[in-house]
Amino acid sequence: MSAEAKVADAEVRTVPVVARVVPVIARWVGALSVALVLFSVLLLLKGANPITAYTGIWETTFLRSRPLQEIFVQMTPLVLGALAVAVPARAGLTNVGGEGQIIMGGVGACGASLFLGDTASGGVILGAMIVCAMLAGALWAGLAAAMRLVAGVNEAISTLLLNFVALDLLLFLIYQPWRESPTGQPATKELVDVAKLPVISGTQVNMGLVLAIGLAVVVFVVLTRTKWGFKISVAGGNAEAARRSGLNVPVLILSALLIGGALAGLAGMIQFAGVEYKLRASFGYQLGYTSFLACWLARHQPFPILVAAFVFAALSVSSDSLQLDAGVPAASIHVLTALILIAVLGFTAQRKKATA
Amino acid sequence: MSVRQSTPRWAVGVGLACAALVVAGCSSATESSGSGSDEPGKDTPAVGFITVGPKDDFGYNQAVYEGSQAVEDAFPDLEVMLAENVPEDDSAATTMQRMIDDGAKLIFATSYGHLDAALKVAEENPDVVVVQQGNTITTDIPENSGTYFGTVYEPMYLAGIAAGAATESDKLGYVYAFPIPQTIANINAFERGAQSVNPDVETITVSTSSWCDPGKQQAAAESLLAEGVDVLTQHQDCTSTVIQAAEKAGAMTVGYHADASELAPEGWLTGAVWDWGPVYTDIVQTVVDGDFVGSGYNDNFRVGYKTGTNPFVLAPYGPGVSEETIAAIEDAQAWLGTEEGSPFAGPVLDQDGEVEIEEGVIPTYAENDAMDFFVQGVVGNLAQ
Repeated sequence: MSAEAKVADAEVRTVPVVARVVPVIARWVGALSVALVLFSVLLLLKGANPITAYTGIWETTFLRSRPLQEIFVQMTPLVLGALAVAVPARAGLTNVGGEGQIIMGGVGACGASLFLGDTASGGVILGAMIVCAMLAGALWAGLAAAMRLVAGVNEAISTLLLNFVALDLLLFLIYQPWRESPTGQPATKELVDVAKLPVISGTQVNMGLVLAIGLAVVVFVVLTRTKWGFKISVAGGNAEAARRSGLNVPVLILSALLIGGALAGLAGMIQFAGVEYKLRASFGYQLGYTSFLACWLARHQPFPILVAAFVFAALSVSSDSLQLDAGVPAASIHVLTALILIAVLGFTAQRKKATA
Repeated sequence: MSVRQSTPRWAVGVGLACAALVVAGCSSATESSGSGSDEPGKDTPAVGFITVGPKDDFGYNQAVYEGSQAVEDAFPDLEVMLAENVPEDDSAATTMQRMIDDGAKLIFATSYGHLDAALKVAEENPDVVVVQQGNTITTDIPENSGTYFGTVYEPMYLAGIAAGAATESDKLGYVYAFPIPQTIANINAFERGAQSVNPDVETITVSTSSWCDPGKQQAAAESLLAEGVDVLTQHQDCTSTVIQAAEKAGAMTVGYHADASELAPEGWLTGAVWDWGPVYTDIVQTVVDGDFVGSGYNDNFRVGYKTGTNPFVLAPYGPGVSEETIAAIEDAQAWLGTEEGSPFAGPVLDQDGEVEIEEGVIPTYAENDAMDFFVQGVVGNLAQ
């Protein structure tokens, strides 16, 4: 860490909490407002009233218990999927393979539950699912890491292409060995009740959310307060300089991608054991890519990732309201997503200038 | 790396915001699950439809949308809600619940894979009727739920006659999504219809594992055309890609779900298309009157040419269908409506030549709904 950075860090620690929080919130509110204003123009062009549309979203998505809880359910895999991008990014790596690693996590979890069957206790199955999912995700990311270290294949390409291999593997499993019934739509049989992730008491939100928020804290601490976190950022900043100062760069690259893959695998496990309970052909569809966007929206920082994941989950849940209250096509939510991405990235670029 | 030092600012703010939201979520989590009712859905002020794809897909979802319009016309006082692009996973339950919170006591979950979510919503809302289109409930049927569908393989048999008569290469191509009984029956009926006028014809199948993925559809259509197929048909929700690929290659098309003859003015033969209006309207009337429990719709409801009310109808004929073929199709349609008529009137042999349906046996609609083999003449692996 540079001397400059240390000074800035020390300054930050001494600033009162309120003074730190207010500009952050103001920036996000500002960015979201700009995006919403731009989206209003589209709504007007589509013949919808923006005021009705936004009050509709507010009343039916944020003021109602079930949609609000659905946002938290949907943000959970996005948090982990985005952390899976953030950790390798610290080592200068681009992990576009969240989609496949999440699928592999689901496959690992499902495989563990099928192997243990109905006899094991819920806790044992849950534990085995978590371990297998993280191993499967890490394996998938590890393939890309190995290709980079052995053959010099760019990991942005290999992780992306492995997504399609993971999907084919999923399809093979649900069409043949793991298929619930030869006459139903291809899917695995439903997870036994005892092995489903428990919910936070009084809600329909599964415990995965607690795990995801906890891991965001852990990732933050590891990246900013441990030697390993420091080393991978050095390797990511300038690999040649890192090598000359005696760091084992290949091991650092491998470990950063393996941890990223394990986090994405856990996202797959939570989606399987907390939400879907079955592997279907559409398992984890778009979760990896949305997480990738969320991570970039948050500039690879663990805590902003929580906000970005919440925003993307909220957008997804609001699309019902946009259709039903405002009467615009379902696809228009993607336009709003793009506007928010552009607006927020624009605002965070300003922030960078201010603190530099 | 340059923004690392500013991270702690975010940390506290975001952490607090999330904690606050979690608390908010927890404290308002009292779900109102309506009290049970003997007449679920009675006098509902609103009806909800969810579709897996967009309402203008020249296919399955467009047919649902047109059916929902018919309901709107028939019941001017009823609010009709439609949500498109609802995935076949748990999030479908949220969308349905939202419609229920807005007053709907009757929900049409219209995609095959919506069944799990539909049954979950039905269980949580005993005073609401949730009907599902196309799948089959294999467990005990709840009092406020059911499935409905037409015997789509009957018009596909007729369309097969048109295809079998028109083909010159004796190779027909079939792009499908998943090997579920409904699709398997369609493919088999299409091949058997074609065989009835052209014994040498074969149907080559390709699966896309998706109800609507234009990229995979394009690839599937191209590989079939490269095999020498000169009539393409499909079991996909969105149909325009395959139809346009066939038209571009100078091949012929049998449509599915909706009349897309405008996309293929040259090669359009005919197709099996929906007319959901009468069935939807009747379901709504039954529910509004409070007569759902114990009705035909509180079951796995199936209609076809035998009952005279098949929601599947044959699309208009294109220029490549001769008078002679039209006459053969009309004869076959009349035959399908009789006791002895069925696309699967025995003997039916499977791909390996084994007898699946004995000579003289006429399988019931329910038996056809469990079909799990390809008939002789179909090329493709059922992946079981």
